[in-house]
Amino acid sequence: MNATLRFWLGAVALGLALVAGLRLLGNDYGYFAGYFVLQYVVLAGAWNILGGYAGYVNFGAAGFMAAGAYSAIVVRQWLGWDLLPGIVAAAVVAGLLGLGTGYLTLRLKGVYFSIATLCLAVVLQTLVVNWDYVGGSRGAYIIHAREIPPFTSYTEMLFIVMLGLAIGTTGIGRAVEKSRLGRGLQAIRDNERAAEAVGVPTLRLKLVATTLCGALMGVAGAPLPYYSGYLNPEAAFSLAYAVNAIAMPLIGGAGTWAGPVIGAVLLASLQQAATVTISSALNLWIVGWMLVVFVAIAPRGILGWFRRRG
Amino acid sequence: MQNITRRDLGRLAMASAVAGAGVSASVFPASAQGANPIRIGMSMSLSGGLAGNGRAALAAQQIWASDVNAKGGLLGRPVQLVFYDDQTNGGQVPGIYTKLLDVDKVDLVTSPYATAMIAPAMPVVMQHQMCFVTILGAGVNSTFKYDRHFNMNVTGDDMKGSFAKGFLDIAGTLEPKPRSIGILAVDNDFAQRAAESARFLARQRGLRVVYDRSYPPSTVDFTPTLRAVQAARPDLIYIASYPPDSNGILRAASELRISAQMFGGGMVGPQLAAFQAQLGPILNNLVNWDIFSVEPTMNFPGVAEFLTKYREVAAREQTDVLGNYIPPYAYAQMQIVEQAVKRVGKIDQAALAADMHSQVFDTIVGPVTFSASGEWAHERNLLVQFQGITDGNLERYKHPGAKVILYPPSLKSGTPRAPYGTPA
Repeated sequence: MNATLRFWLGAVALGLALVAGLRLLGNDYGYFAGYFVLQYVVLAGAWNILGGYAGYVNFGAAGFMAAGAYSAIVVRQWLGWDLLPGIVAAAVVAGLLGLGTGYLTLRLKGVYFSIATLCLAVVLQTLVVNWDYVGGSRGAYIIHAREIPPFTSYTEMLFIVMLGLAIGTTGIGRAVEKSRLGRGLQAIRDNERAAEAVGVPTLRLKLVATTLCGALMGVAGAPLPYYSGYLNPEAAFSLAYAVNAIAMPLIGGAGTWAGPVIGAVLLASLQQAATVTISSALNLWIVGWMLVVFVAIAPRGILGWFRRRG
Repeated sequence: MQNITRRDLGRLAMASAVAGAGVSASVFPASAQGANPIRIGMSMSLSGGLAGNGRAALAAQQIWASDVNAKGGLLGRPVQLVFYDDQTNGGQVPGIYTKLLDVDKVDLVTSPYATAMIAPAMPVVMQHQMCFVTILGAGVNSTFKYDRHFNMNVTGDDMKGSFAKGFLDIAGTLEPKPRSIGILAVDNDFAQRAAESARFLARQRGLRVVYDRSYPPSTVDFTPTLRAVQAARPDLIYIASYPPDSNGILRAASELRISAQMFGGGMVGPQLAAFQAQLGPILNNLVNWDIFSVEPTMNFPGVAEFLTKYREVAAREQTDVLGNYIPPYAYAQMQIVEQAVKRVGKIDQAALAADMHSQVFDTIVGPVTFSASGEWAHERNLLVQFQGITDGNLERYKHPGAKVILYPPSLKSGTPRAPYGTPA
């Protein structure tokens, strides 16, 4: 049995075990907490494709995620279609947005590219705020069915969808890492001019990476309006998404497929646990300190730290 | 990248398990505290952008809980508040309410402060068929149409037809009669609804709308915007803004020496003690929407005692030191729950909702009745005017005369002074 098959079988088995475990637990909170963690697995995995492998730091994760969320809202308002077509639409719209960002890399590198992605999020937010069709500044309401057989609840369905997306994103990240695309992106990260000189098609690879990164971030956002039932621009473009999308791969180990998963599970679980235990401004303080400690002790993330010691 | 070894995977699994333990530990119900208390659950913004009002609301609700417990509790059981910080992040709210209802097994739920936090709670609350008394939401139930939702907000059912009515009614009493209006609103839900009301009612009364623009919430410099308003020379200037921008707008208006027969409208911010201390005489003659003022006409039974208690707590809890905005309503929100539970005699969500639909509630903010949609049956938007403000001394706001009520007529405690922009 080859490694890829083992990965997929392992991931599906883990997913099934999670669903079974939460069913045994018998309350919806597990699904909500699980969804919260898994959306960050998708977001961090998506960020890692461009930021981790190619070294292009994208500060606009919230913008791409919101593009996905609002694509799902448009599909629902316009065609009356539900979540799954919304996810497809989110992937297409955010992917095209990512492709456009890819062309920015023709002229912008390093910090200038990062600032451009941040600006893109601001431009998108301004567009949404002034677009009444998707609720504008007032926000959009999504009223979904309470039950959706064969799932025990709508929340379980959302959790399973997000679980599928998380497994898919991790699998895509792993496939990228082990392919010519991943090696090319790593060459771009190390020295783009040298990579170009030895024949790496840098522009094409960057376009593929930005499109893939954008599409997956959009996919992470598509279920968001269904999850909360209401989405306004402040929530959709929350800085927390942009910060976590960068912090999680860095803590887990950027440039590896497992790093974003570890970082997202660790940090998002901690955030969720802090929300329902400490439950005060102190939880932000804790998360902030955790970032500082990881950057100081393990600048290459948890994975890099284990490897160095191993 | 190197391949991950089996040893690496073992370490990673341990790291994930440690992280996961935090969540799974909180999945299990909290141990019961006290003698079978009635547990009331809520999410509240204790950090983030809405924390100022969220913390003040929670302080008021905790005073209510201690008042009720001092009188022997509710139905003979002590009352316990179970609350979590939503960090002013709507994405946290559904999870928190699920935790409250499925894990903590609370008996009742109330809402966090304001629309953006109330709306994400609605699907979860509806799924559990809970009675839900919310605070200062704006038209949330017009979409959900949930018959167990009740909103503590003076705006009533018809915000468009009533919100700016007081401002324009007062303007109608001025001499010479104002003929034009400029409208400036921030791009958010509440302000856009307020501006819509001003636009609608101004046209109905034949006022010329000479300026009508919105600005993004991230705006920090209002000088160009107010110069544009000034250039249109409106007799009335109606602003619908949120705290950070209200501050910038009022400072810019002061620097530009803007004058109009009436200035204000739907600004959120001047109701808060921090603004009153900072802005001092800049607030003078501002006519603004409000929900509470310590005028004799609003001296409802219990409110003075509540404010005394609140102000003792406020300094310690680092919340709004005066408590003249949200806190009385947050206390009254809990009084509604209390009175309904007492009347029904048990925790029965359907019976509680039926009681709330049919009964009048005596609260510290006056008698409250709810319409079929769960909003206040009769709107009671206040329009107050800051009068005689010479500095940022907050002591004056503890007594009548600083924030005079001009509208509604039933609560009127003073007469309007014009124009805005003249010193006290």
